[in-house]
Amino acid sequence: MESLHIKATQYTPEIILDLNGTITMTGKSYPENTFEFYKPVMEWLEEYFEENKSNTITVNLEIIYFNSSSSKLFFDFFDLLDENRKGRELIVNWIYDEENESAEEAGEDFVEDFADLHIQLVTK
Amino acid sequence: MASEDKLVAEVEALKESFAETADKIIKDIKRHSKIMERSDKRQRLEYDELQKKLKEVETLQEEITATQREVVFTMGAIGESRSKETGNHVKRVAEYSKLLALYYGLSQEEAEMLKQASPMHDIGKVAIPDAVLNKPGRFDAQERELMNTHSKLGYDMLCHSQRPLLKCAATVAYEHHEKWDGSGYPRGLKEDEIHIYGRITALADVFDALGSDRCYKEAWEDQKIFDLFIQERGKHFDPKLIDIFFRHLDEFLVIREELKDS
Repeated sequence: MESLHIKATQYTPEIILDLNGTITMTGKSYPENTFEFYKPVMEWLEEYFEENKSNTITVNLEIIYFNSSSSKLFFDFFDLLDENRKGRELIVNWIYDEENESAEEAGEDFVEDFADLHIQLVTK
Repeated sequence: MASEDKLVAEVEALKESFAETADKIIKDIKRHSKIMERSDKRQRLEYDELQKKLKEVETLQEEITATQREVVFTMGAIGESRSKETGNHVKRVAEYSKLLALYYGLSQEEAEMLKQASPMHDIGKVAIPDAVLNKPGRFDAQERELMNTHSKLGYDMLCHSQRPLLKCAATVAYEHHEKWDGSGYPRGLKEDEIHIYGRITALADVFDALGSDRCYKEAWEDQKIFDLFIQERGKHFDPKLIDIFFRHLDEFLVIREELKDS
């Protein structure tokens, strides 16, 4: 298993899944086929959690623009984190610009829905 | 009894699993509607923002167009004021040019562009010395030669722009003294070699110049102008434009009347 680095495009964020347990997504997310785009990401994570049961995971999400299917995808992503949070330290940061109301509200929704993940809302 | 217990245990397990699934479905439904609600809100904000930006761009575009129009018109007026011609000369030439362009078959946009560009046809005169420019009476050969450089001078001033309006003005400045039979200046172009903008402005400019008082001459009688036009059809002027001029003479005379010098 190797770290995964997906470069940003006009429609998709930069994604870095590091074997050291750092998960970073930065940019915009409105792919033509969201679930297809994120499939390798979700698969990588499932495999990673399978192989690494107790290490610390740090998640930094800074998504400035996203469509509704990306929003659904992030719920699935947090579900996956939720299922694998036991027995390890988990730090989740939802990073947004103060003026980006949509990103702020999305962050608040995630905080509310995933109380156990202790998602931190971080303003830039 | 044992089988009964087993059955109950199985059903209990099913019940639990069903409850879990039901919870998950309910959660998903709630999530889904939340996602849609947020998405709708986002879309609305985005659309509002887009509309606002579009409006700003439109306003800016109008501003740019208006500024361009004013600058072009002012430059034309500067050119005219240097030669002590009346302020309405450029306005009349502009209107005649547009009318000729439309009847010639140019599009509304192109005719409008020519109207806006044609006032600059004499802009090169700003570089001609006053003593020559405002000399009463006829020019000698040397003065005439100097005077004739205003076409090229005007072109040189305008030709560096990539803006369609200024490019059009450059063409007009360069070619409005060319003649259909090739006897004009500065390049001695003939017939279709002369851009239609040049051919149109040539006619519009001469029609107005002959009908106006100048420092070196009085205005011509209409009939004398018309006779000259008939005579110069296919010589000085594009025959097609002369035909258009006579076919729609009443409209040209209306413009002249409405924009006459006070």
